Amino acid sequence: MRDAFYISAAVAFVSTLMVIIQKKVVHALLYLIISLLSVAVIFFTLGAPFAAALEVIIYAGAIMVLFVFVVMMLNLGAEAARQEKSWMSPRMWIGPSVLAAILLADMLVLLARGPAFISGGNVVGPKHVGMALFGPYLAGVELASMLLLAGLAGAYHLGRRLKKEELAERETRR
Amino acid sequence: MDADTLRALLPLIIISATPVAVMLVLAFYRSHALTVFLVLAGLALSFASLFPASGLLPRMAAGLLVLDHYSFFFMGLMFAATFAVALLSYGYLGRKDIFPDEYYILLLIAAAGSAVIVSSSHFASFFLGLELLSVPLYALISYPRANPRNVEAGIKYLILAGTSSAFLLFGMALVYAELGTMEFPRISTAALFPGTDRNFVLAGVAMIITGIGFKLALVPFHMWTPDVYEGAPAPVAAFVATVSKGAMFALLLRYFTIFDIRRYGSLMLLFTVISIASMFAGNLLALFQNNVKRLLAYSSIAHLGYLLVAFLASGVLAAAAVAFYLAAYFVSTLGAFGVISVLSGKERDADMIDDYMGLAWRSPWLAGIFAAMLLSLAGIPLTAGFIGKFFIAAAGVDSSLWALVIILVINSAIGLFYYLRVIAALYSRRPGALAASPKLPVLGGITLGALSVALLWLGVYPATMLEIIRNTISRFF
Repeated sequence: MRDAFYISAAVAFVSTLMVIIQKKVVHALLYLIISLLSVAVIFFTLGAPFAAALEVIIYAGAIMVLFVFVVMMLNLGAEAARQEKSWMSPRMWIGPSVLAAILLADMLVLLARGPAFISGGNVVGPKHVGMALFGPYLAGVELASMLLLAGLAGAYHLGRRLKKEELAERETRR
Repeated sequence: MDADTLRALLPLIIISATPVAVMLVLAFYRSHALTVFLVLAGLALSFASLFPASGLLPRMAAGLLVLDHYSFFFMGLMFAATFAVALLSYGYLGRKDIFPDEYYILLLIAAAGSAVIVSSSHFASFFLGLELLSVPLYALISYPRANPRNVEAGIKYLILAGTSSAFLLFGMALVYAELGTMEFPRISTAALFPGTDRNFVLAGVAMIITGIGFKLALVPFHMWTPDVYEGAPAPVAAFVATVSKGAMFALLLRYFTIFDIRRYGSLMLLFTVISIASMFAGNLLALFQNNVKRLLAYSSIAHLGYLLVAFLASGVLAAAAVAFYLAAYFVSTLGAFGVISVLSGKERDADMIDDYMGLAWRSPWLAGIFAAMLLSLAGIPLTAGFIGKFFIAAAGVDSSLWALVIILVINSAIGLFYYLRVIAALYSRRPGALAASPKLPVLGGITLGALSVALLWLGVYPATMLEIIRNTISRFF
């Protein structure tokens, strides 16, 4: 169990480092997905399979796929398409694939050995999470909802189309 | 949760409901004046609801928040400061060609975050409150987003706040791993069990201090402050300097009072070094600044250093000194940034000392108010800042922190130089870069007038404030 933890922690470390040093944003995103997946495996080894599943579904799944799509859609035009093709060279896939393969092997060994978590049989399932969130941490859930509202309002303002006057101002400042 | 707890939670509920209400109104009808009116009404209502709720204290709410007179005092201070910031923002944003409305939603959420921080007694609520304060600030700092300087400041704040949150979380994790609890009172008792690894806990606490230090801009975590203050819109800079720092300091005081910092010599030493470094670095770096916002940023670093002297003195007297000093610092800083806000035009903020050359001959009242605010920051008698500094020195002497008190006095003398430099510019005969006679916006003028009255009142007749502090802060000890 401990080995599995250290292997996935090492993968998390390497992939996060690669996120930072990549020059192309799409390549960085690929490594970020691996990083999130390895965090999910860490959650699993710690005895929180539900948190691991959420990590995969929400972070690695929904949010990251959204990121990749947005980045892809931002680069429009023939020139950009050719550039994108050069990013997709097979060499780029090797790094993330190897890391993902290590994680997969790690995970398979874990599943084959059967459930024996570091925390010592104390598995945190969906029911525990729900009871904690809507019991002692109810105020925390409410506060987190306010936090999402803040993020939403901020992103809405910063991402909104500029007014004509603002565009003119930006031009004059260039 | 019973009805009484809900009633005691009313200030927090109102301050959280107001941004939602403002947002819903915005969906149907956009009017800057109406938005500001709703914001001010919400803030006034949450301030007013502190009084009926204060009879029901102290009590725990939802396991994460502690509602006592201590948190209510600071909540009142935060709401009042946010009220002043909102008033100043109305004129400031009105002069710029931007959509002004989302600004107020973010401002209110940040105020709610500060209220959560001052009433948190659990790592979870502390961290959520901190994020609730930080996330709106990223957008607020870069709000006039056509200006690259604002965006740059916003990104700087985003990266540094993210780093500090990471430190904070890791520290909390270390403390939780060793002690198995995240509640402040239980942490302090669990840390004393014979079996606990003290070094583990101290490492965690040191990382928590790092996270808090970033937010308070204490040396050596102060690098971001001048850049962010310079880039942020003037009212937002006022908010960062007052509400954001004040809430964190209130939490610091609560946490380490419960933790009983005097039992940990290494932590006392750490805070002593940070305090001395903050005082000297803040004052020395401010000496030759030509940008008033940067100057105020460095001065705020020094002020936090002064506050740490009272924090280290620890005890009832010291807590009262911290509360009074924070109130005085809030009034003076809001006033100083308020003058910058009302003078700032559409293109840029009036942030260079040259802009203020000879202001006294064109608008004597405004220059007088600015001078009064700066004198209060410097700690000249008759102003709030003097009484505040006096109490801090008294608290330091009471705990025989002689070295710190002497350094505080030396630093006050150094600080006087750069405040006087700005005042000399205000009253110089040379014409300045600003328009011939700046037109004072009505709301801004009223705000500055009220802040000046508060400044003199705290400075000449501090008994009222001390009575309030005795009835609120001192009960915590």
